[in-house]
Amino acid sequence: MSLRRRRLTEKCFKIATALITWSSIAILGVLVFQILKEGMQWVDWQFITSLPSRKAEKAGIYTAIWGSFYLMITTMLFALPTGIGAAIFLEEYGGKSRLSRFIDVNVANLAGVPSIVYGLLGLAVFVNLFGFGRSVISGGLTLGLLVLPVIIITTRGAIRSVPKSIPQAAYALGAKKWQVIFFHTLPYALPGILTGVILSVSRAIGETAPLIIVGAAAYVAFVPESLLDEFTALPIQIFNWTSRPQEVFHSLSAGGIIILLSVMLTMNSVAIFFRHKTQRSRNG
Amino acid sequence: MVDSIDSNDGIFRTQNLNLYYGENRAVKDVSISFKKKEVTAIIGPSGCGKSTLLRTLNRMNDFIDIFSTKGEIFFQGEDIYRSSQDVADLRKRVGMVFQRPNPFLKSIYKNIVWGPQIHGTKKDLDELVESSLRKAGLWDEVKDRLNDLATNLSGGQQQRLCIARTIAMKPEVILMDEPCSALDPRSTARIEDLIGELRKDYTIVIVTHNMQQAARISDKTAFFYEGELVEFGDTKSLFTKPKEKRTEDYITGRFG
Repeated sequence: MSLRRRRLTEKCFKIATALITWSSIAILGVLVFQILKEGMQWVDWQFITSLPSRKAEKAGIYTAIWGSFYLMITTMLFALPTGIGAAIFLEEYGGKSRLSRFIDVNVANLAGVPSIVYGLLGLAVFVNLFGFGRSVISGGLTLGLLVLPVIIITTRGAIRSVPKSIPQAAYALGAKKWQVIFFHTLPYALPGILTGVILSVSRAIGETAPLIIVGAAAYVAFVPESLLDEFTALPIQIFNWTSRPQEVFHSLSAGGIIILLSVMLTMNSVAIFFRHKTQRSRNG
Repeated sequence: MVDSIDSNDGIFRTQNLNLYYGENRAVKDVSISFKKKEVTAIIGPSGCGKSTLLRTLNRMNDFIDIFSTKGEIFFQGEDIYRSSQDVADLRKRVGMVFQRPNPFLKSIYKNIVWGPQIHGTKKDLDELVESSLRKAGLWDEVKDRLNDLATNLSGGQQQRLCIARTIAMKPEVILMDEPCSALDPRSTARIEDLIGELRKDYTIVIVTHNMQQAARISDKTAFFYEGELVEFGDTKSLFTKPKEKRTEDYITGRFG
């Protein structure tokens, strides 16, 4: 191939990748623009602080915001320690035993299971078997199971990326294995673990199907006060509005989407802040 | 041929030691003794088993699945591979400085105190930090920024910090695995001066591929070739009047 032709190929490839990138960003931009155009008229203080209502102009999203917030707290309180613990076990103690390989394969498979299946599992186990009913804790635990594989996989990746020289230095000082993991491996892996948190919050907060199955109610007139209270959530509320025949509720749901995106970004920005902070301290 | 050594005199002593990676015998039938408060240099071409031997002395090879030993290694008269050996305690008493500086992703201060802390030291941490850094010749450079991240230091400073971290444990022996191979000549010179200081208080075993370095800093030198201990004796005589043909060939640069 001549030099000119090789340069041309190079250029074409570059343009192709740029085109793909920009077209997906453009589609995203159009979507966001459309939603903002339709929904911004609704987003005001009244919308955020009002209970759901049959009249669009009075309807608000107050209970759904708090419902989603409590759901995420429950989800993370359950999924983070469990997921990180499992990742530590598989990465540091599991070795190459048949059991750990079996778990390994299954965790990867679980990450790909449709969310509605988790909903059915949550309904059978948390709602009925454990008797939690259609409550915040049932929803939170179900979403926790849903994001568990994501947390395990990202945490394992983060642990694996810790340079071997760090635990070596600690062992050479006479440290026990748990001390090495707790004081050095985990802090070093923290930015990677936080990436897992970001991914899983983003996934869990938008999930609708499993919540419908475990029985999130569309109309809840109060903010949940205990884990066993009934709840609604942002995606449930949005879904409810879009399924109404009146045109006005459709644009109301756009307002709900704006709130959902803002809540998600707010929660993620906390994780992003910490990730940035820990990463910066590493690079000096 | 190996100098005859009073077998009870060494702080570390190996007896017909063989080290294996799976089927591959990396160290062959080595009997050697490292004396108290001496600097022993281990030299030899790459792959001669010198690092393998060094990492056996504080059992850092335990992390390699296929690694195994045959023969005996005594530290202060006790076999370190006996089943009742507390490995953490052994590593506390036998410190190690690695090829590449590997400070923890923590402050300079924490780097020093972490080891003593996990072993239960509580008081006088400030003093411990100062004395360890002074001994490592780093105090004046870092005394105003002890809370800065250790990873912000230069490579040479990081390696001296790693030495300070090892000293803070008050070990009986310090093992050094080519501690200058990742450093520039000036930092190397500083570390060599430092080893000269440390020899007063510590037993040091240092692996190096740099023969001039071995000649400059050590009391005894052991020359390894293909897993065998070819010659072991006073550094001066080994470098000026080697007894073995292979030693002579190596130190005159005919191979390796």
